[in-house]
Amino acid sequence: MAEVKALTKKQEEVRQLIKAEIPWEPVGPTPMPEIPDLRSWDMRLLKTYKPWYAPFCDLCCLCTYGKCDLTQGRRGACGLDIATQQARIILLACLMGCSAHAGHAGHILEFLIEKHGPDKKIDMGTFIELEAPNIRTVTGLKPETLGDLKTVIEYVYKEITYLLDSTHFGQEGSYLDYESKALHASMLDHVGMEVADIAQIVGFDFPTSVANTPMIDMGWEAVDKSKPVILLVGHNPATSCTLIDYLRENNLYDKVEVAGICCTALETTRYSDRAKIVGPLSRQLFFIRSGIADVIMTDEQCIRTDMPIEADKVSSRVIACLDKVMYGLEDATDWDTEEIVKQMVEDKKHFAILDPEKAAEVAAQVALKISPRRKKEWISEEEAKELAGKCTQCDMCERVCPNLLGLGKAMKDISEGNFDEPQKLFNKCIGCGKCDQECPQHIPILRVMQVVASKETWRIRAGRGAIMDTEIRNVGAPLTLGTIPGVLAFVGCSNYPDIDDVADMVYEFAKRKYIVVLTGCAAMVAGMKKFQDGKTVYELFPPDFDAGGVVNVGSCVSNAHITGAAIKIANIFAALPLRANYEVMADYVLNRVGACGVAWGAMSQKAASIGTGCNRLGVPVVLGPHSSKYRRLYLSRKEEDDWRVMDARKREIVDTGEPSPEHIAYVAETKEKAMVMIPKLCIRKNDTPQGRSIKLNHYISLYRKYMGGGLPEDLHLFVRRDADIPLVYKKEVRIHLKEIGWQPKEPVGLPTFIGTYPTKVPLEAVIH
Amino acid sequence: MSAMIPFHRVNVLTGIKSARLIEDAAEYANLIQKAKRPLWVLGPLLSEWALDGKLLIEYALEIAKAANIPICATAHVKGKMVELGVKPDSVYDAVEIVNALKDPDWRGVKKEGNHDLVIFFGIRSDLEEQCLSVLKHFAFNHLKTMTLDKYYFPHANYSLPNFRKDEQWKAFLEDLISELKKGG
Ligand code: SF4
Ligand code: SF4
Ligand code: SF4
Repeated sequence: MAEVKALTKKQEEVRQLIKAEIPWEPVGPTPMPEIPDLRSWDMRLLKTYKPWYAPFCDLCCLCTYGKCDLTQGRRGACGLDIATQQARIILLACLMGCSAHAGHAGHILEFLIEKHGPDKKIDMGTFIELEAPNIRTVTGLKPETLGDLKTVIEYVYKEITYLLDSTHFGQEGSYLDYESKALHASMLDHVGMEVADIAQIVGFDFPTSVANTPMIDMGWEAVDKSKPVILLVGHNPATSCTLIDYLRENNLYDKVEVAGICCTALETTRYSDRAKIVGPLSRQLFFIRSGIADVIMTDEQCIRTDMPIEADKVSSRVIACLDKVMYGLEDATDWDTEEIVKQMVEDKKHFAILDPEKAAEVAAQVALKISPRRKKEWISEEEAKELAGKCTQCDMCERVCPNLLGLGKAMKDISEGNFDEPQKLFNKCIGCGKCDQECPQHIPILRVMQVVASKETWRIRAGRGAIMDTEIRNVGAPLTLGTIPGVLAFVGCSNYPDIDDVADMVYEFAKRKYIVVLTGCAAMVAGMKKFQDGKTVYELFPPDFDAGGVVNVGSCVSNAHITGAAIKIANIFAALPLRANYEVMADYVLNRVGACGVAWGAMSQKAASIGTGCNRLGVPVVLGPHSSKYRRLYLSRKEEDDWRVMDARKREIVDTGEPSPEHIAYVAETKEKAMVMIPKLCIRKNDTPQGRSIKLNHYISLYRKYMGGGLPEDLHLFVRRDADIPLVYKKEVRIHLKEIGWQPKEPVGLPTFIGTYPTKVPLEAVIH
Repeated sequence: MSAMIPFHRVNVLTGIKSARLIEDAAEYANLIQKAKRPLWVLGPLLSEWALDGKLLIEYALEIAKAANIPICATAHVKGKMVELGVKPDSVYDAVEIVNALKDPDWRGVKKEGNHDLVIFFGIRSDLEEQCLSVLKHFAFNHLKTMTLDKYYFPHANYSLPNFRKDEQWKAFLEDLISELKKGG
């Protein structure tokens, strides 16, 4: 039926960009897709996983027609309704996230191309041939050089422009289309992240094709404050790697302590295992207020926007190293180094210095000069008690705390010298400092908290970048058959209910032989709890992408390696071509790869786009309770929804009645509930009976552990035949199923959405 | 309408439709009794919060019994309920139950039709407020919402004020139980 059409000029141009003539795989249906190209896939996803909106605000105030009241079915002056307004805000959030990473990628590429030239070859080591699964799948280009990455990031920039355009007054009017656009933006986010991390690995020689990366010291006590301390905050390693080079070349590395907060810390320790990780984002303000850092170098993303003000309070000096964040500081990039150092030392000034080499030299010189004169002491017990004693229990701090923490009681305890309960509370503090500014007694609460802050240090494994092709070959079969019960990706920021939650979850699932991968702040906090023999999860479990392994993949941009691993399973293990073949990859992942993301402390817009990008690829994501404030989830209703899929082997549509996966963007209220939902979200229709019984075993046992016994209410939906029932629960489950009139059903040989909705992808494309 | 600021500022209303503040237990009891198919959404904090040593979940179960209201247990609160000898009528997470409730054609936890009054109790306040927002915006035609937590929730239809003291809250809950018993 398909008549062969001549290529349009635009198509020809795309084929040129992606070097279509190089025949590493046939070019699939969607090279460098634009907004409409994957829309039908999105609509299929959104049919089962409908958007759930929790508006923060009754109004829209985005143009001067407003404010418009959007309650009770009202539309704004432009015609927009409340659902569409939510979807527009979500698209904006995903675009902010996507552009933060794309901007990061662009900056780092510029820096590295300057350093190595555009022809610098991409080599990810012996065990990684499929170097760029996201880029290859989305664009159809197999990037061979840094210059090729530039082509990719320019495509992302272009799409961002069109997507942002659609949020303007009087454009898109359908919430579903806004969601499709948000999914598009977020898929592109994974492309941008992949560009950034491949460039970093290649350009800075970060570890690759290795699992056993060095162990790193973490925690503020790991920082030797008797030395000059340079603190790096943010995400961009151009600053930190250049600093380390400078220190090495000038024999200063023994004399200066380099520490990092947030993803820059992870990046820096991929470059030098001597650098220290202070901790996640939630420890930023706390650490800065300790005054331990002599010089603070900021780059981009997730840094305090009041850094110079905070630094002034403890007379640290700030260097803003990237144009994304200049704090209104004087741009000293072209100044004489000596003059900058002089003004920073003598006049306590901060500067923007956008040349990493100059910034490095200045930071080192200033730190060496000012460190001996600065005080870097934690608060004394006496002082803390005295300050806490001023508390009148007015509750103002609790009222403004984003984690709803009541500090009055903690202040009382501290004033009486009881530190145990306040210490638990401090573990829940996300370090925003809002309590401090609200306290009518002017108690410096974060400073007082220094007295209960853990002085422990922990060991975390340095980030290792992409999962190796060889590892994928080993786990492909057990994963898709279900005998490895799932791959869990703990990602995202540090806005969690409790700092221990992530470590507890990682421990529970690694013990149960799930494959656990981690990035960003989640990777850090997972290492901030000690289990048996005082060991962290990184010391207790092997670093392999295999059953029971705990793998620190790296920083936020390394999230692309997680979606990349899912694509690799489809491509390397199932041998489905990936080139410009996004729909087939996503359909495979959704229906056949038991993977689940957990963004327990998701807070930023980047986390919104990372998660939404996982969703488009078919990876469900469990979010922590704060994430209801993103205001959109993708939920199904298991009893009512349509769970039909195509059985590609039989070429017929089958009504499975099985909600697997049940949701793709879901908020769990508590860690306990998340522990029950996670194993369920790893169930897939193609599980073998053995695989399914293993998965159900975990589901039931975690349900019993956290829900007070009994069997899950929806268990019957996931039992296809008697062989699916785990041996240990056989008797009880059989009785239960009989009671409710359960009927066995045929498992589906090769489940797919292809064939259940209008798409250009033929059914043959998913058969391997 | 004069603005009542919720206790937790993350829940400040940015909009125009905020909950009616009710301090009189008899009025609450009346609203509950007038409802044809009320639903109790009980959250995990009920097994942590206590008033004078009595867990809030015990108050919640007494109210459910007095007014014969079916229960939806969210998160992991089911465990505590079972310990106290009560099996919830349904188990959903907070976001899931509101997802079902916003559909007017949903058959409800008893399969007798969707609920017309949903009472929230014991979910962390930021999440509870978001769940209330879902219903305020997408279920306003077919149901009303109510909260029994200690603080004011603007996205509900009916809410308690910010009680300064636990005793006030306790007194309210006790009055509510006796009002419901009277009415029942
Ligand atoms: S964009 Fe539309 S809904 Fe928003 S303020 Fe303008 S007219 Fe009103
Ligand atoms: S710094 Fe901690 S305790 Fe203070 S308001 Fe922020 S999260 Fe709450
Ligand atoms: S705001 Fe200050 S005085 Fe009031 S309870 Fe909190 S710490 Fe105490």
